[in-house]
Amino acid sequence: MSTPVSDSASRGAPSSAAAADTVVPTGHDMPRGVAALVFLRDRGIFILWLLLILVFSFWCAPYFFTWSNAMLIANAAALTAIFAAGVGLGVMSGVLDLSLPGTAAFCACLTGWLAVNKGVSLWIAVPIALVCGALVGVVNGLISLQGFNPIIVTIGTLSVLTGLASVITGGLTIPGLDGLTFMGTRRYFGVPAPVYIVAALYLVGTIFLTRTRDGIRFMAVGGNAEAVRRSGIHSDRYKVMGFVISGICAAIGGLVATAITTEANPDASPAIIFSALTAVALAGVAMSGGRGSLPRVLVGALILATIANGLIIRGVQTYWATVITGVLLLASLGLERFIQKSVSDRLMATSNLSVHQKKV
Amino acid sequence: MTSTDVTTPALDLSHIDLHYGYVRALADIDFHVMPGEVVGLLGDNGAGKSTLLKVMSGAHRPSEGTIRVHGKEVSFHSPSDASEAGIQMVYQDLALVDAQDISTNLNIGREILRKGPLGWLGFVDTKAMRKRAESELDRLGVRTAPMTRPTEMLSGGQRQVVAVARSAIRVSGDANGVLLLDEPTAALGYEQTKLVEGLIRRMADQGIAIVIVTHNLPLCHEVADRVVILNRGRKVADVPMRGTDPDHIVGWITGARPSMFEDRAS
Ligand SMILES: Nc1ncnc2c1ncn2[C@@H]1O[C@H](COP(=O)(O)OP(=O)(O)OP(=O)(O)O)[C@@H](O)[C@H]1O
Ligand SMILES: [Mg+2]
Repeated sequence: MSTPVSDSASRGAPSSAAAADTVVPTGHDMPRGVAALVFLRDRGIFILWLLLILVFSFWCAPYFFTWSNAMLIANAAALTAIFAAGVGLGVMSGVLDLSLPGTAAFCACLTGWLAVNKGVSLWIAVPIALVCGALVGVVNGLISLQGFNPIIVTIGTLSVLTGLASVITGGLTIPGLDGLTFMGTRRYFGVPAPVYIVAALYLVGTIFLTRTRDGIRFMAVGGNAEAVRRSGIHSDRYKVMGFVISGICAAIGGLVATAITTEANPDASPAIIFSALTAVALAGVAMSGGRGSLPRVLVGALILATIANGLIIRGVQTYWATVITGVLLLASLGLERFIQKSVSDRLMATSNLSVHQKKV
Repeated sequence: MTSTDVTTPALDLSHIDLHYGYVRALADIDFHVMPGEVVGLLGDNGAGKSTLLKVMSGAHRPSEGTIRVHGKEVSFHSPSDASEAGIQMVYQDLALVDAQDISTNLNIGREILRKGPLGWLGFVDTKAMRKRAESELDRLGVRTAPMTRPTEMLSGGQRQVVAVARSAIRVSGDANGVLLLDEPTAALGYEQTKLVEGLIRRMADQGIAIVIVTHNLPLCHEVADRVVILNRGRKVADVPMRGTDPDHIVGWITGARPSMFEDRAS
């Protein structure tokens, strides 16, 4: 209904009929091609994952498409997913927090030390770790607000925290944290505990980002902090919030990793941040901030685990998984560029109130 | 029109001096705008127009001089002080959040929360916000695209309209409001310029005081009641738009014509 209006406007001369007030698009004036492209951009990763599952289901039959294998994949993805949530939320708010492995190691070692060496109950030690993660975020945030590059700042805190973790434990791992298995290797209704943690984390995070005032502002600050500031909002508060949320995710990740092995390890594993970043990038979260969605990040982490799992079943060397993930990542970049370009071409061709069309 | 007192200026600056380091960007400027009046602020590049506007919007503090809002002396420490006093500025560079839709851009900072417990938790009522944004744009007569369209998918003109509307909405309804516009039509084609012109006139009819910085003389002719012309940080003319020879205006802008206030120069 509205399509003919925009069509005639794009073809027509700037006649008086196009006097702006009379052209009121009624809603679905987005050209159909654009809607499809936007769908592909926003949902493409889900399609990719389904395709992968389909391929592996046949290629690795009958071992792949089973409940127990699904649980294996979910469990394997859990740790990456937790860190990816931290990295992803940070990036969406405009900060790349590289200190996550350090925060994780520090918080885990603190909990281990409190529980094993000081006899503190885990019901107290675990919340302390989470608070600690948040505090690390506050420190990162406040330093970055002084105008320093967050990447450098968090490389600094990564180093400090890794060192401090070793100071706490005396450089050794703290074994005997059997009390944590409830969030590690234990299964409830056949589903491993970390999977529940991931589900809860992503559910809360997604609701926060899409439904709440703070979440929407958080995202907007990532996109254009100046615009938000000019709306009379303290945008700095949301930047710090980005670090705080990352820090809490890292603490959760550290605790889960500790729970799985029942020992707190002071050696931060920087590798985890790269697989988390891969999941985030695969999910199309823009590194410039302000764009992205958590469910897609989760699928990104699941894709990494799915590929690794399928190849292991077929007995393919695991380094091929790394190669394939890398290729997928690069391909997704290309696809995104293509979609962006096509969308803007189409919009320019049909926009009913476009300044571009006059350049023709 | 409105019951506003039309003898007190909405915004009144006197003897404003501003230095950027050694550069004296503004020298002894007097400036006022009445409720419902549109004042065009003209001048060549670097004349100090943006600087003067930033003084009004609280972004810069003058080294010398006083600012009165509706007769009351104020001192702005930040743009949010000015915006609390009812002064809204549209910046020369647009400030929209690209990835977000029109509705979010218009509603940010004044979100509608849901009723009941969800609202206490900070949940927003997306539908109500869209509806409100839609009706506000309708009232301004500038509805250009669906509310759910991300602003990055708008044309330059549409974006500018949204940016102007965002500030306009915040002052509209507030008969004491002041709207400051820095080059609002810089990137616009013919139709969009008309759109913004209409918007400015409608805002003024609501009793809002408007200051518009522009290089676009025809626009000034259309919307301004009065023009103030700056040259190298000094005010050289302050004349009603109607009845003033356009050549004189150009002369004051370029400096070819001597200042109306020669005797006051120090
Ligand atoms: N942040 C700054 N630091 C130092 N000097 C500045 C600064 N901003 C502006 N100036 C100087 O102050 C003078 C006035 O600048 P201003 O931006 O107000 O000009 P303008 O009239 O808005 O020009 P234009 O039409 O190009 O936007 C210029 O000489 C400029 O070089
Ligand atoms: Mg300027």
